[in-house]
Amino acid sequence: MTINRRAFIKANAVAAAATVAGVSVPASASNLITSSDVTKLKWDKAPCRFCGTGCSVNVGVMDGKVVATHGDIKSPVNRGLNCIKGYFLSKIMYGKDRLTTPLLRMKNGQFDKNGEFTPISWDEAFDIMAEKTKATLKEKGPEGIGMFGSGQWTVFEGYAASKLMKAGFRSNNIDPNARHCMASAVGGFMRTFGIDEPMGCYDDIEETDAMVLWGSNMAEMHPILWTRITDRRLSAPHVKVAVLSTFTHRSCDLADNAMIFTPQTDLAILNFIANYIIQTDRVNKDFVNKHTNFRLGVTDIGYGLRPEHPLEQKAKNNDKRAGGSTPINFEEYAKFVSTYTAEYVSELSGVSIAKLNALAELYADPKIKVCSFWTMGFNQHTRGVWANNLVYNIHLLTGKISTPGNSPFSLTGQPSACGTAREVGTFSHRLPADMVVNNDKHRELSEKLWKIPYGTIPPKPGYHAVLQNRKLKDGELNFYWVQCNNNMQAAANMNEEGFPGYRNPKNFIVVSDPYPTVTAQAADLILPTAMWVEKEGVYGNAERRTQAWYQMVEAPEGAKSDLWQLVEFSKRFKIEEVWPKELLDKNPSYKGKTMYEVLYKNGQVDRFSINQVPSDRLNDEARHFGFYIQKGLFEEYASFGRGKAHDLADYDRYHQERGLRWPVVDGKETLWRFKEGYDPYVAPGSDFQFYGKKDGRAIIFALPYEPAAESPDEEYDFWLSTGRVLEHWHSGSMTQRVPELYKAVPDAVVYMHPDDAKERGMRRGDLVKLVSRRGEVQTRVETRGRNKPPRGLVFMPWFDASRLVNKVTLDATDPLSKETDFKKCAVKVVKV
Amino acid sequence: MRTEHSTPQIQPAETSEYHVASFVAHVVPEMAEDMIADINSIEGAEIHAVSEQGKVVFTVEAASQSQIGNTIDQLKHHIGLLSLSPVYHQFLIE
Repeated sequence: MTINRRAFIKANAVAAAATVAGVSVPASASNLITSSDVTKLKWDKAPCRFCGTGCSVNVGVMDGKVVATHGDIKSPVNRGLNCIKGYFLSKIMYGKDRLTTPLLRMKNGQFDKNGEFTPISWDEAFDIMAEKTKATLKEKGPEGIGMFGSGQWTVFEGYAASKLMKAGFRSNNIDPNARHCMASAVGGFMRTFGIDEPMGCYDDIEETDAMVLWGSNMAEMHPILWTRITDRRLSAPHVKVAVLSTFTHRSCDLADNAMIFTPQTDLAILNFIANYIIQTDRVNKDFVNKHTNFRLGVTDIGYGLRPEHPLEQKAKNNDKRAGGSTPINFEEYAKFVSTYTAEYVSELSGVSIAKLNALAELYADPKIKVCSFWTMGFNQHTRGVWANNLVYNIHLLTGKISTPGNSPFSLTGQPSACGTAREVGTFSHRLPADMVVNNDKHRELSEKLWKIPYGTIPPKPGYHAVLQNRKLKDGELNFYWVQCNNNMQAAANMNEEGFPGYRNPKNFIVVSDPYPTVTAQAADLILPTAMWVEKEGVYGNAERRTQAWYQMVEAPEGAKSDLWQLVEFSKRFKIEEVWPKELLDKNPSYKGKTMYEVLYKNGQVDRFSINQVPSDRLNDEARHFGFYIQKGLFEEYASFGRGKAHDLADYDRYHQERGLRWPVVDGKETLWRFKEGYDPYVAPGSDFQFYGKKDGRAIIFALPYEPAAESPDEEYDFWLSTGRVLEHWHSGSMTQRVPELYKAVPDAVVYMHPDDAKERGMRRGDLVKLVSRRGEVQTRVETRGRNKPPRGLVFMPWFDASRLVNKVTLDATDPLSKETDFKKCAVKVVKV
Repeated sequence: MRTEHSTPQIQPAETSEYHVASFVAHVVPEMAEDMIADINSIEGAEIHAVSEQGKVVFTVEAASQSQIGNTIDQLKHHIGLLSLSPVYHQFLIE
């Protein structure tokens, strides 16, 4: 019997792969053996749990357990393929150390910050959480309460959390880990276009003539999109691929033009390209005259460090003026970029003039359609918003935007960085549909849609991610709830900020996670969490595609979804305990109600009956609360964006589709925004319309190259760049038990140029210390392998709990986006 | 850095497992032969089809996901390999 079952599933595996590759296999291999045992498998679709690409996978369930996955052949994104991370999806929920009970640090039967983790019931967990919240509210007010969420939250989880914090507790101290990832991209979109997220979509890949990677190693981080790029490059010989990076990596293998530049000089290269376009007289004048404005940005804006840091003392405009700009004309802009000559930029960046010119020609040549792709190289940058603005400049100068194959495309790293963090607005300054808390009208509209009194949402932006860690350390943020991320490991400078913050005796830290991550272990209370297809969900990917899935299996007994946790916790508060009397007097009908009744059982979120959940479907949350809560939250949320160029389809439709790209108008998705004929929001006759701005014009910004916050010097003589590598999928918190903090794991390495190693008397595999002004970390030297740094730079991946490179990194941030620069700081490397 | 904590609860290990996964490797066509030899040398691996465009369809069978992972870790360093995409993964508890 076992042999038959094995043969059967192997045949399925072969058939699926052959279909995807478009090849036929011998009949014997595809001959399916019928076995009642195995055909019990029930298949259903879900977006992948991992990156922002938004692949769809088919999930096979047997006996209440996910036992199989394969790439969804019907998905327009991945067309049946998976990547290494996606392919082990069937096992991510079954780690041996899956948490199944709340764990509280206790001593002698009482909560004790220095106690041992002890199992408690959910009731007891909510008791102590409510007690700590209420004490904080009394002592510090809403500003003492904070939450750190995730681009891995489902749309409804992010929405429920944002509402709980901003409308319920009246605190804007909620931020997602997307702050580390996407905040600069958001800042760039809002500043240039006045509306968030890419205008184009993945279909651009098959339409384009040239693809340029700026600070993105797509071959490893977005493998599925990389297969589409590879296919395009190899099937159309005229297509060119250019790759810019601070070290040589796997994506360079396919590059026609691979350029290794000195960190931070990407800003100068971008301005050089603009200058080249102008000098060679290839500006698309008609487009520029009709659809753009020019502005000169404020400079010398600091590095987002603590105010007492010498760099902040020195910076002139590191205050509210940092994001300002003044109008200029084309001639002034041309003069501004004219200093960025090939000679100057080549010297600054270390890239040859020939390579720079070849790159610029891809943008300048009106016959070449060009896509730019970027991720953390641009975004994790103390001038991240600028870098985003500058790449839009070169697409706008040439009019190569918003049409098939012409696409400046900001990729994302998390499955719902766009859908949840950005669109729902789980940032400390945002509200749904691109609205912000410091805009009176935006707050008023949100309060109306939420049916809460005018003045409920505080107007002042809350603490962003980096500031949250600083406020925890300073003892000002005292009740802190972390869901769906591993920020102790991910945030910069954990030695000086993150860890002391979590362990500050004034603070009570709650971490919700399926596994005992580094972050969970630094908490006071751990809540065991249901994940992925153990709950119903919606994610939004990088190309504006919203995708839904049904709950397919039960979570392990004791584990509850983030949504359940948030909504259930809200029952612990009478509205009088969180709102002042004056506010409540504006809506006396809420008197005596719980926060749950005001926020969730509010006549809107609970308006879809439990009978709308298909009877053959699991839905633990809907059955617990007694109404179709996911649909209710989604529809209430969607009311923010409908008619405002963020239109989502009706909830039920997403269960039928492999996702739809918003705005969805009259049932149709939108592939290219701002272009007449593709985007229903563009006024007839306008050709292009960047309607995020009142006059329909996008902005070309004059912004200079400014140096990094910290550069190598005599003592700390290396640049340190951090990032990810593909093989570290197996040390991520979802797929493996977190190792002991100091346990040696040989594949956590620092990549170094062989000559740099030789000069220091180091050999491949030697144990070394990476030392910065902030801390040190031990690791081993790697001088071979696929990541090849130039001399003077070392690269180390961060996604490894046993080698916490963020003990060394600097928490310098982009002053505009508040996103940390994980790519640049100065270190020395010494032998142990 | 120190964390004062007890180890959170660890649940008992599961029984033995059979895993199978299928992959499509996209190789520079001139280097396909070398790649095929490499795949064939791996225990549990089997090639089912090769296309003229350099796409190789193969499966890996193993007792755990990490074994398959290690196999893939070996293969993905192969020179001339442009992309390696898993397609299907299933396991049986036996």
